[in-house]
Amino acid sequence: MIAAIATLPLKMKRLPIAAITLLLLSCDHGLAPPPPSTFKPGFGGTVYFEKGTWPGPDSLVGLWIFASQEYPLDSVKVLQGLLSSPPKIFLYPSFTENLPFSVDSVSYSFLLPPSTYYYVGVIQQFAPELSTRSLRVVGMYGQSDVPPLPIPVVVTETDFVKGINIRVNFRKPPPQPF
Amino acid sequence: MKSFLHIALLVLWTATALGQTSSGTITGTVKDTETGQPVVGANITLRGSFIGAATDAKGKFQLLRVPVGGHSVIVSMLGYERLAIEGVIVARDQVRRLDVMIRSVPLQTEPVIITASRREQSLQEVPASVATLTARMIADRNNITIDEALRYVPGVNMLSDQVNIRGSTGYSRGVGSRVLVLLDGLPYTTGDTGEINWETIPMFEVERLEIVKGAGSALYGSSALGGVINVITREAPSIPELRFRAFSGLYDKPQYPEWDWSPKPRFTSGLLASYSGKSGSVSYLVSAGRTVDESYRENDAYHRWTLFTKLKVEISNSQSLTVSGNYVYRSHGNFFWWKDLTNATRPADGQRDGLVTSRRGNLSLAYKEFLSDKFFYTIKGIYFGNFWRDDSLGRVNNVSASHLFNLDVQATYFVNDIHVLTFGVAGNFDKVNANLFGSHPGVGAAAYAQDEIAVTGDVKLTAGLRFDWQKVSVLKATAQVNPKLGLVYLHDKETSLRMSFGSGFRYPAIGEIYIESSTNVSQVAVLPNPDLKSETSVSYEIGINRSVGNAMSVDLALFSSDFENLIEPSVQIKSYHPYPGSLVEVTGPVIQFENVTKARIQGLEAVIRVEWWKKFFSTDVGYTYTWSRDLADNTVLKFRPRHIVYTAGAFSWDEFRVSADFRYLSRIERIDENLVRLAPIVDGEQRVAIKLVDINTSYDLIGLGLPIRAGFSIKNLLNYSYVELLGNLGPVRTYFLSLEGIF
Repeated sequence: MIAAIATLPLKMKRLPIAAITLLLLSCDHGLAPPPPSTFKPGFGGTVYFEKGTWPGPDSLVGLWIFASQEYPLDSVKVLQGLLSSPPKIFLYPSFTENLPFSVDSVSYSFLLPPSTYYYVGVIQQFAPELSTRSLRVVGMYGQSDVPPLPIPVVVTETDFVKGINIRVNFRKPPPQPF
Repeated sequence: MKSFLHIALLVLWTATALGQTSSGTITGTVKDTETGQPVVGANITLRGSFIGAATDAKGKFQLLRVPVGGHSVIVSMLGYERLAIEGVIVARDQVRRLDVMIRSVPLQTEPVIITASRREQSLQEVPASVATLTARMIADRNNITIDEALRYVPGVNMLSDQVNIRGSTGYSRGVGSRVLVLLDGLPYTTGDTGEINWETIPMFEVERLEIVKGAGSALYGSSALGGVINVITREAPSIPELRFRAFSGLYDKPQYPEWDWSPKPRFTSGLLASYSGKSGSVSYLVSAGRTVDESYRENDAYHRWTLFTKLKVEISNSQSLTVSGNYVYRSHGNFFWWKDLTNATRPADGQRDGLVTSRRGNLSLAYKEFLSDKFFYTIKGIYFGNFWRDDSLGRVNNVSASHLFNLDVQATYFVNDIHVLTFGVAGNFDKVNANLFGSHPGVGAAAYAQDEIAVTGDVKLTAGLRFDWQKVSVLKATAQVNPKLGLVYLHDKETSLRMSFGSGFRYPAIGEIYIESSTNVSQVAVLPNPDLKSETSVSYEIGINRSVGNAMSVDLALFSSDFENLIEPSVQIKSYHPYPGSLVEVTGPVIQFENVTKARIQGLEAVIRVEWWKKFFSTDVGYTYTWSRDLADNTVLKFRPRHIVYTAGAFSWDEFRVSADFRYLSRIERIDENLVRLAPIVDGEQRVAIKLVDINTSYDLIGLGLPIRAGFSIKNLLNYSYVELLGNLGPVRTYFLSLEGIF
C-alpha cells in the first residue's frame, strides 16, 4: 500500500495525508473517568435525630438534606427551586434516594456547585404525592434564636466545608412556612 | 385452516396455469461498457409487467414466460445509467438473445428512487435530498441492525435508537418519532409509543434503504416531519439460492480499567440463513436468524430470534400478490443509563436485574395490477403486533400489547407525456392495552393525490396534497391538510437544480396522550394529557446536483424547517388528583407530554463523491451544518449536533476490498437537564464530540471457486469513548469477522 501511495501524483498524495490528519484529530480518547483525587466542593457534617421523635411510616415518605440559594422558602418555592434550570435547591442523597429512617444520626458529604446556600436543613415528605402540601422542614443549620435563623453556608471552588451539623426534632420543627 | 390451504392451492394452481400461455424467453448478458466486465446484480424487467430477473455472477440473465410480441426491456443497476431497450420482439417458444452494455455513472445521480413520489424515478427527477443504502453497503460494514447502518448517511444521526434527519427529532425519551419509517412502503412505527423498532426489520433481507430528507406528510401522513426512511426488502431470485451470513465480534477492553467490569471477553455473534427461489410463477423466501450480544456493558446482553418469509405470486403478467411476515423474539437486559462516569459500563443500581422481553411481528399483503402500461394500482395492508414486558427482581413492572393495522390503496396513471398522477386512500386502526397507557383504540383515514407535470423537457413540477383524519379513544377527532410542491430543472445532462416545499405532522402516540404512572417515576407523578395536539412542520429546500465528468458528483442543499407544537415531556408544578376518582387535589411537580416548543432548524448539506483511478478507489465526504433554535426561549434546541461530518474511502482490487469510515458529530450543546436531575443520571451531563473511525476489509473467495465472501472489520478503531445519549457509553473497539455465502 505504501508503495502504491509513493507512485501517486502530487495532488493524489495529499489525499492519504488528509485522511491521516483526520485520524490524528481523533486521537484524544473522549470521555474518561474522573481522576480519584479530583476535589469536589460541597459541605458535610452529621444530622442528629432526637430520640423518640421519629414519625410513623405513614407520614415518612421522603427525607432529605436540602441546600437552598434562597431564603425564606415556602412549599411552592421549594418545588420551583428543585425544578428550575439551573436548580436553586439541591437535595441529598438525591431526588430518588432518602436519608436513612429511624436512626440516631447520619454523617453526610453533600457535593454541590460553588455558591452561597442561605438555607440548609432537613426536609420531610409526609404524604405520598410530592406536592405543596406534603413537605415540611424538620431541622435546619442555624442559630437557636427565637425564632431560629439559618446560617448561610458558603461553598467555593476550593472549599469543602465541614461541621455543618443539623439537629432534627420531628415533634418540634422550625416555624412553618420555612 | 383447511379452507385456507384450499385457497392457497387454488391461487398457486391458477397462477401456474396462467403462466402457461403462449410465450418465449429472453436471455443474455449485461456488461460494463468501459471495462467489459460482467455486471452482477443488474435488474432486467419488462415495462408494464412483473417479468424480471437479476444478473448472476457472470452477468447472465434469463426472462421466462415473456408474452409473444414487442416489449420494452429496462436494465437498471445502482451506479449505472438506466437503459430502456425498445422494440424487443419475442416469438412463441423463441429464445431471444439480448446482450447489453451499460455505462457506469457517478453513484449519486442514477439510483432509482421510489419513496419520494411513491413510484420509480431517477434520482435526478426527485425534488428532494435523497440518500440510498444498498444491501452491499450494509454488508461491507458488517452492520447488524438498520439503525447501525443509518449512522453512515450524511445528515443522519442516531440518539440511541431515535433517528434524526437534519436535526428533526432530538430525543423524546423513546416515545414518538419525527422520522417516518416505512417497510416496503407501509408505516412501521409501534402502536403504543409510536417509536421505530429497528430490530424487527429483517436486515438480512433488505435490498436497500431510501432516505428522503425533509417533511413528507403530503404523501405519507403522520410522523414524516423530518423525513422518510423506506426499507425495501429483496425479491426472491429466479434461481433457487441458499444464503447465509455468520459473524462474530469481540469487544475490546474499554479504554480505562475502571470500566473493565467483566473478567471474561465479551462477544457478539449471529447466524442468519435464507432459502429463496422461484417455482413457476411463485417466488418464495424464508429466512431465520439467531443473534446473541453479550455487550460491553453489564446487564445489557440480548438474545434474539428472527423469522421472515415472503411469498410472491405472479397471478398473471400484470397481476401479483405478495404476502410477507416477520417475527422477532428478544430478551434484553435493562441498561437505561450508567451508574456514574467512573462506572460507565455498569448500570445504575436499580437497573442491575432488569430484563425486557418482547415478541413483535408483522404480516403484510400487497396486490399490484397493471391495467395498462399507463395505469397500475396497488393495495397494501400490514398488521404490526407488539408485546413487551419489563421485569425487575422477578416482579413484572410494565406490560404493553399493541395492534396496528395500516391499509393503503394507491393508483398511478401516466396520463400523457406531461402528467403523471398518483393518488390513493389510506386507513389505520390501532389498539393498545398497557398498564402505563391504559386501553385505548385509535382510528384514522386519509386521501392523497399528486401530479408530476413535465412543464418543458427540462422542467418538472410536482404538486401534491394529503388530507388526514385521526381519532383516538374518546377524544375529539382532528384533521390535517398537508401540501407539497417541488420543482426540478435539468440544466444539462450533468446538472440539476431542485426546490421543494412540504409540510409534515405527527399525531401524538397513544403512549404520549395516555401515559400514567401510578408508581411514579422519580417520585414525580406522570400524568396523561388528552389535550395534546399534533406537532407540525413546514420545510423548504433548494439544492443542486452536478456530475463532473464520469467520476465525480456533488450535491449541495440549503434547508429550512419550522416546527410548531413540538411535543416534549415537561416537568411543571400543577394541581392534580393523585389517583383516578380521588376527591383530593394536590399541587406538585408532574411530568406530562405537552406541546411546548416552537422551533426553527436551518442549515446546509454538501455531499461529494469521487471515483479515482478507473474506480478502484472512491471517496465520499458529507457535511451537514444544522442551526437549530427553540423560538420560545431563543436557545439552541436540545440534543442536536451542530456539525455532522462523514467521510469514507474505499479501495477495490479484484476480489479484495478495504474501506475506512470516519464520522464526526460535534458536541451536543444542550441536553434535557430535568432528565439528568430527576432520573437522576449521575454525571449525565458528561458528553464530548463523537469521533469514530471504522475499518472494513473483505475478500471474495469466488476466485478460488467458493461462493463465499470473508470480511473483517474493526469498529471504533481508536477505542474512542463517547455518549450518543445521556449516561450511555458508546460501543468500545470491536473486532468483527464475517462469512457470507450464496449457493
